[in-house]
Amino acid sequence: MCDFPFFSLVCTGEIFELKAELNSDKKEKKKEAVKKVIASMTVGKDVSALFPDVVNCMQTDNLELKKLVYLYLMNYAKSQPDMAIMAVNTFVKDCEDPNPLIRALAVRTMGCIRVDKITEYLCEPLRKCLKDEDPYVRKTAAVCVAKLHDINAQLVEDQGFLDTLKDLISDSNPMVVANAVAALSEIAESHPNSNLLDLNPQTINKLLTALNECTEWGQIFILDCLANYTPRDDRESQSICERVTPRLSHANSAVVLSAVKVLMKFMEMLPKDLDYYGTLLKKLAPPLVTLLSAEPELQYVALRNINLIVQRRPEILKHEMKVFFVKYNDPIYVKLEKLDIMIRLASQANIAQVLAELKEYATEVDVDFVRKAVRAIGRCAIKVEQSAERCVSTLLDLIQTKVNYVVQEAIVVIKDIFRKYPNKYESVIATLCENLDSLDEPEARAAMIWIVGEYAERIDNADELLESFLEGFHDESTQVQLQLLTAIVKLFLKKPTETQELVQQVLSLATQDSDNPDLRDRGYIYWRLLSTDPVAAKEVVLAEKPLISEETDLIEPTLLEELICHIGTLASVYHKPPSAFVEGSRGVQHKRLPGSAGSGESADSPDTGSAAGVSEAPPAVIPSQGDLLGDLLNLDLTPPTTSGPPPAPSSGMQMGAMDLLGGGLDSLVGLLHAAMGAGFGAPPTAMPASFPPPVSGGLDDLFDLGGSVGMPMGAYSPPKSIWLPAMKAKGLEISGTFARRAGVIQMEMTLTNKAMSIMTDFAIQFNRNSFGLAPAGPLQVLTPVGPNQSIEVALPLSTVGPVMKMEPLTNLQVAVKNNIDVFYFSSQYPISMLFVEDGKMERQVFLATWKDIPNDNEAQFQIKDCHLNSDAASSKLQGSNVFTIAKRTVEGQDMLYQSMKLTNGIWVLAELRVQAGNPNYTVMSRLVFVLTCSGANHKDYKTESREV
Amino acid sequence: MISQVFILSSKGDHLIYKDYRGEAGSDVINIFYEKVTALTGDQPPVVMSHKDLHFIHVRQEGLYWVATTTAADSSPFTIIEFLNRLTALVKDYCGSLSEKSVQMNFALIYELLDEIVDYGYIQTTSSDVLKNFIQTEAVSARPFSLFDLSNVGLFGAETQQSKVAPSSAATRPIQSSREGGKSEIFVDVIERMSVVIGSNGVLMKADVEGEIRVKCYMPSCSEMRIGLNEEFSIGKSQLRGYGAAVRVDECSFHQAVRLDEFDSHRILRLCPSQGEQTVMQYQLSDDLPSAPPFRLFPTIERDTGGRLLMYLKLRCDLPPKSAAINVCATIPVPKGSVSLSQELSSPDQSAELKLQSRAVHWMIPRFPGGTQLSALFKLEVPGLSSASMLEVGPVGLSFELPKLTVTGLQIRFLRLSPIQPGPSQRWVRYVTHSDSYTIRI
Repeated sequence: MCDFPFFSLVCTGEIFELKAELNSDKKEKKKEAVKKVIASMTVGKDVSALFPDVVNCMQTDNLELKKLVYLYLMNYAKSQPDMAIMAVNTFVKDCEDPNPLIRALAVRTMGCIRVDKITEYLCEPLRKCLKDEDPYVRKTAAVCVAKLHDINAQLVEDQGFLDTLKDLISDSNPMVVANAVAALSEIAESHPNSNLLDLNPQTINKLLTALNECTEWGQIFILDCLANYTPRDDRESQSICERVTPRLSHANSAVVLSAVKVLMKFMEMLPKDLDYYGTLLKKLAPPLVTLLSAEPELQYVALRNINLIVQRRPEILKHEMKVFFVKYNDPIYVKLEKLDIMIRLASQANIAQVLAELKEYATEVDVDFVRKAVRAIGRCAIKVEQSAERCVSTLLDLIQTKVNYVVQEAIVVIKDIFRKYPNKYESVIATLCENLDSLDEPEARAAMIWIVGEYAERIDNADELLESFLEGFHDESTQVQLQLLTAIVKLFLKKPTETQELVQQVLSLATQDSDNPDLRDRGYIYWRLLSTDPVAAKEVVLAEKPLISEETDLIEPTLLEELICHIGTLASVYHKPPSAFVEGSRGVQHKRLPGSAGSGESADSPDTGSAAGVSEAPPAVIPSQGDLLGDLLNLDLTPPTTSGPPPAPSSGMQMGAMDLLGGGLDSLVGLLHAAMGAGFGAPPTAMPASFPPPVSGGLDDLFDLGGSVGMPMGAYSPPKSIWLPAMKAKGLEISGTFARRAGVIQMEMTLTNKAMSIMTDFAIQFNRNSFGLAPAGPLQVLTPVGPNQSIEVALPLSTVGPVMKMEPLTNLQVAVKNNIDVFYFSSQYPISMLFVEDGKMERQVFLATWKDIPNDNEAQFQIKDCHLNSDAASSKLQGSNVFTIAKRTVEGQDMLYQSMKLTNGIWVLAELRVQAGNPNYTVMSRLVFVLTCSGANHKDYKTESREV
Repeated sequence: MISQVFILSSKGDHLIYKDYRGEAGSDVINIFYEKVTALTGDQPPVVMSHKDLHFIHVRQEGLYWVATTTAADSSPFTIIEFLNRLTALVKDYCGSLSEKSVQMNFALIYELLDEIVDYGYIQTTSSDVLKNFIQTEAVSARPFSLFDLSNVGLFGAETQQSKVAPSSAATRPIQSSREGGKSEIFVDVIERMSVVIGSNGVLMKADVEGEIRVKCYMPSCSEMRIGLNEEFSIGKSQLRGYGAAVRVDECSFHQAVRLDEFDSHRILRLCPSQGEQTVMQYQLSDDLPSAPPFRLFPTIERDTGGRLLMYLKLRCDLPPKSAAINVCATIPVPKGSVSLSQELSSPDQSAELKLQSRAVHWMIPRFPGGTQLSALFKLEVPGLSSASMLEVGPVGLSFELPKLTVTGLQIRFLRLSPIQPGPSQRWVRYVTHSDSYTIRI
């Protein structure tokens, strides 16, 4: 025979052999045969054919054999219900046996035979056994009631077993009490409203008494049952806590954790100023720490629970940071949990210690752990503000190691640090950019792109960096694609001039070449925003982001509260409420922490757990990555830690998508395209806010010009600047300036053809503007403009056109048409060209008017670095139709009183103070409302005067 | 509530299967095995779920001990504790834990399972209670071995009464004592230390977890008194007398231990039940009575040939009479290390480069107290950069300190009352293991 005699194959012949052995007269042989049968059963072979033969062996006084037969019965009775009836007689007889072991065995086994027919025979023996003199039989019978209830609940109620069970709670034997409690708890679960387990102070008292006497497992039943009780007041709560506390030093960690659950729950009812509350807090720490010296499996479960406890009551373990430092040989899942708790416990007091540890961890071998450690450093920075600087420098040290995954992880967390402390640590961006090439993980790439987009104005080559990502756009993951789209749009809004091409490219990649609906929709949204209302686009895309806070990764308070009620259970390991992983079969009740007693204290300490206190708390918490955006809208595939668009565009996106779906999809898409394409050509006209045209800079230029004495005097005219880049106008480039020549305002333009074909048929039109500027004649372009040819045109302007106030005041929107298309652009003209020649006011009038103008029409400002004496300035200004009426010298200061008149008849009076040797002039200007002018206000004149 | 319990071999063979509540079929065994073998290292293996069923398992001696449950409010703690107790019980009853012993004693294990759990409610795991119910005799699975003959003298005569028990003495089924086996008691004081020494040589953390374990092969329960050092104290406030106090921070006791003489005389009284039990557990953190047992003095540099030189001096600060055994230092080395050449200070040491774990293992079989060893490792690392130098360390040490407790806890005496009839033997062992001994570089 081989080593394992019972595990040989069962073939038909063998079954035959076993049959013979089972029917043998020799007890030993019978026993061996039954053993063989059970061995076959264990390995999954079908030995049900032997049922009658095995049942025949049941009537024996050999307890060992009997147990083996019962084992077999439990397994096969269900599949052979008719045969099982054969065994009933023996069961009933065994229930009367003088040996309590046999009585208990019979009751136990009968309950396990889940055959309906048997139950009716079970009732009588069970009733007797529930009142048996032997506690071993009674405790077995108590469990049997629960078994029977599961098979036939009605029967149990009809037979009155429930009442007997309730009586057993007062049994003298603690083991019986424990089983009765367990059975009742289970039955009560399926009848949520029945008052089966009527917990009142009397029964609680009995339970607490039994608690001290019964086995460790019984203690768990009782403690779990206690946890469902809600004490009437804080005094009762305290007395229960006092009697449960000794369980905390039990060697069985399950008992400890059940006790912790009871205490955590009842603690809610204790007033915080109570001495006992503090004592209790102190008592909770050591057992929790002790749990960490168990096997790794238990440690893991303990850590998951401690994680909850720490979030609820950090004060319990605040001094125990060290026990959560990882050991070199901890399994990785334990290490990760410990890290999590370390961060939760991190505070200003211990941050140095924590950071030193984390830095060590970051150089370990295990990749996952190292990553998490690097993340933890970032979370520390976010949580403990004082440490942020040190964290950042630690992260930079780590980046220097050039270990690929460390660098990537560090970049991801630095992004979060930027979000928490904007404009504080941007000096590190350069270092980050150095590592651009080594990033191969989507999250790190996305984070880097976010940083580049967010700080585009500080990174000189931001466009090149982003462009390099754009090359492999289609190979990137969605997360990176979305981020790249957003970043380039941000870049465009910040540096519109150089990035037109880039933004167009990314928009077309996102909208036309992508299958991903999220990407496409986001692309359309940006496109539409940019083309219809760039100001709004700026407001949306560059909106201030909410700061992230350390609470981001905390469990949501109501969930936490529920989980605290489930300490020690599966829910506490999964960190999910039971309803999330148990399908409705069993009644799942949402457990809540009891409200705190002591009315006065809820006001000063809202976190005691009163429902109100909790509901107030959440709004402060910013939903973490994707919680809100992802879940609510189901739009972002990727968690937008990487700052996806703020919620507004997302919802817009959804509406857009619905639009699309509403109509005929294809045609609408086509239309949209066309509309947007056309609209997109327009942005320059529509983008005054984002393009401060280079006209400003004004006064310095003006004075510089004047500095060279030989120059013919004339009105100041700024140098030409590019108004319409060729890229945006199908090859037509327009640069130009404004000038006032011989009393006529002129727009002087250079039209350059940078396209391949000839341009003809030029025409021009202005939009309504603040001073009614309009072309005085047609655009004089007589010859066609060939490729690479440019032509100079001077367009005289009149001031009799329609008036509309613009923002800024001197903004002019222009449309230029040629044989190819119509192009729009906008430019700003210097206000000085509107000063008319007859702007010299009489001295008396000037004095009178100066005094009459109310003070709130006055503005004062300084002109810096102007190296002219007052006379030179005066004559220079005269060339621009700014007339000096009078000059006074007071204490070495020259005061020039000047007047000017605008084309629309508004007078501006100014006092210019020039101090010899001081290059800074002070201008005080007063505005006269000679005409009630549309919307011109003082502020605008302030800027305008500055230019002069 | 436990729904099913099963034991699988490491290859997934079904050894034991017990269904308590009829909530799921036996097909879940295979589902479990698939799940557990598919786990990667970083996923916590403790709790896994499949539909409504949750698997909780522990691994002991290469076997999977699994319990399933359907109830959301069942406590994984309870179940893991239970599974640990179950393994301990099976070990007590079968003598040792192995696939073979489980297979051979399946009837006994089924009987145990029937008694300790009823309808998913754990009833008892105390071997004292269980011995009243268990009928099946254990089959000893100990393989025949020549080594077992070592203490049998010539012609089978018993040699001189040894003061040392054979190492296999404590691995036999508890019930064999019924049939006139020797009545013996083994008391182990086991301590595990975890130490972190900073790169500047400062002791950053030193924790000791200790326990007193009793394994009892006495046929009948009699009272045992274990006397600890009289100067033993718990907590900081409670210093007793002067001089070398033995101090621990926290202490917990088995529920069967009576502590009425503990406060005055440091005596634990208990009636040990058959089999193994942990009588007392204690912890001490940050305040070791003596210096940490090992100190490392490393010098790490790059030589002109671009090789990494590690010169390590390791000092053992144990008292001269003691020695550490099975010392193994694990030194993580930079990625891309190719080969290792070594100079060790004595021939019994050895060292090798494990490429898979990127570490050099330096093995020292015996390391007497008060001595110092040194080793020079030269590592060939192509493309060694200063950044990769940072990858060296921290050094982990594993070792065993026999006949020594770092807390200084001793057992003064071990008395049985009433005096046992017939020959009875009492054995006391002390050992300290390294749990995690890390020296940062």
